[in-house]
Amino acid sequence: MDDDILTTLKILIIGESGVGKSSLLLRFTEDNFDPEQTLTIGVDFKTKRLAIEGNTVKLAIWDTAGQERFRTLTPSYYRDAQGAILVYDVCNYSTFSKLETWLSELETYSTKRNIIKMIVANKIDMDNREVSREEGMHFAKKHKTLFIEASAKTKDGVQSAFEELVQKIIQTPDLWENYGPGSNFHLGNKEHPAQSNCSGYCNLA
Amino acid sequence: MEDVLTETVPAEDLKKFEKAYHEQLYKQDVTPKAQFEYAWCLVRSKYPADIKKGIFLLQELYRSHEEGQRDYLYYLAIGNARIKEYSKALSYVRSFLNIEPGNSQVIALESTIKKKMEKEGLVGMAVAGGFVLALGALVGLGMAIASKK
Repeated sequence: MDDDILTTLKILIIGESGVGKSSLLLRFTEDNFDPEQTLTIGVDFKTKRLAIEGNTVKLAIWDTAGQERFRTLTPSYYRDAQGAILVYDVCNYSTFSKLETWLSELETYSTKRNIIKMIVANKIDMDNREVSREEGMHFAKKHKTLFIEASAKTKDGVQSAFEELVQKIIQTPDLWENYGPGSNFHLGNKEHPAQSNCSGYCNLA
Repeated sequence: MEDVLTETVPAEDLKKFEKAYHEQLYKQDVTPKAQFEYAWCLVRSKYPADIKKGIFLLQELYRSHEEGQRDYLYYLAIGNARIKEYSKALSYVRSFLNIEPGNSQVIALESTIKKKMEKEGLVGMAVAGGFVLALGALVGLGMAIASKK
């Protein structure tokens, strides 16, 4: 049941095609890795519960396609997101350079002004690295985002990436306080249709 | 909580892509891109009529534009599931998985659709069960009255 859940958070994963967004999500949600991960169509969605400092939060994670032809529409999934994970591939410099574009995209389309951002430098298990750790950290510092190096393949950093992001969101009550458990404005609580009648749960504050 | 079958398109997006599509339609030069973007918005609408229109546009694309077929199949499955055309939705899922058997996004969609069907099945049974109970109560009441006489 959802009774023990502090809140549900909406998290986005964005970045260039092929940097490993879906792989990071698969590692995080199912502790799995698919070396032949296919290209995401439009936007994929997964949920996961995460325990942080004694609280359990439910994460609704929207994994966007990086391919150009989906670009015009993916921003419509940004609304109400409390956190964003921006991914680049340390072995592909151009995916790092494009982060500026992704940040301004977030700036433009996210509806929460203080949305928490985490930059994830993925594929650190590979030996043909083009972006150094220092460069990544410097960029993150400049843009006031969180930063972590990770590998969806070896698990390195993946759990921490999500945990640190969620922790920071929890420390920013403005982002989520009006969104208590059960306050699913849109279409009720799909997992418990019997209780989905909003009248008893709606957070009117 | 929202998922791929319940989240809805913001009205301004639907409007924006509808306009772009109609402008091209007026010039009789609709690109697959504009048609897909409009259809993608339509199948995420809360109105079944919009979803049906989106499905129509996607079917047209599927026939005419080979390059994007996997995208069209995926959204055809979503559109049909959203208007509760579950057997159609699942047949699109199967067509997709025939081409790309291991696609985890589509496998996940399949299980979301099946879960939704199960829930609705259960809701149907609960309603039927309630009816049987009510009927039982009436019969019981009738018998009680009859036995008092």
